[in-house]
Amino acid sequence: MADRSKINHEFPPFTYEVERGKMRELVQAIGDDNPIFLDKEAAIKEGYKDIPAFPTFATVPMNWSNTLLSIISDLKINFAMVLHGEEGYEYLQEIYPGDVLTGKIRVVSIDEKAGKSGSMDLVKLETMYTNQRNEPVLKANALIVERK
Amino acid sequence: MAKELYFQDINVKDQMPVLVKGPVKHMQLVRYAGASGDFNPLHVDPEVGKAVGIGGQIAHGMLVMGFVGQALAGWIPKKYLRKFSVRFVGMTRLNEVVTVTGKVTDKKQESGNNIIRGEVFARDQKEELLIAGSFEAHLPEKK
Repeated sequence: MADRSKINHEFPPFTYEVERGKMRELVQAIGDDNPIFLDKEAAIKEGYKDIPAFPTFATVPMNWSNTLLSIISDLKINFAMVLHGEEGYEYLQEIYPGDVLTGKIRVVSIDEKAGKSGSMDLVKLETMYTNQRNEPVLKANALIVERK
Repeated sequence: MAKELYFQDINVKDQMPVLVKGPVKHMQLVRYAGASGDFNPLHVDPEVGKAVGIGGQIAHGMLVMGFVGQALAGWIPKKYLRKFSVRFVGMTRLNEVVTVTGKVTDKKQESGNNIIRGEVFARDQKEELLIAGSFEAHLPEKK
């Protein structure tokens, strides 16, 4: 049962340094051979400063900073019953290797919904990422579903 | 690699090149877990999915969103992509083949931007929907 008192709560910011190797690992795990995500020269030729982050890269800082797990436990959600309902990104600027991201997560809403196999809690999280120059680079919206 | 794309070159109903991925194997889920940092046992431990009543191991939703991201960035240069959102509709199981499709649904000029919007889908080999999503891109104009 997600903790309703946390609606509108903003968690303490977390930071994550964007590593070139980790960017490549994600692209290779997905199996994309697009050279802009693998080859700095190809990326520069296409008008980027360096290899840009893959469209779904924001999942990496969220998980590798252990942020998601701590938030799920703060919200008193049973991790074993969690499903990912939705994910959405707004790209404000490219993210490049060496960038230091700061993420601020806010609980937008927690609602209950009747599903096919019982009721569920729907938890909406919004994360705003800024870089080392304090420029907003990406906004992420996640919907986490807790089956009960 | 996505070819350069101009606002004049793309129209409502234009289709994204179809991308077929998979079959999804256990090893890919292990690799994706390590890359993304999502070690939820549902995705990497064949026994856990059975235990929590979802009928066995499932792929990370974010891996399948990654397939859609690959198709999208292979069509529209990443630098023009402004929004990309998905709903995870169905679970992707081992050995499934995932087909990604999409099309332009809207094209307009608004506050100095050349905006295209579209929808994207990922389906398994039984045509069951895994992901339904949308995107927005701002394209340059041919001078």
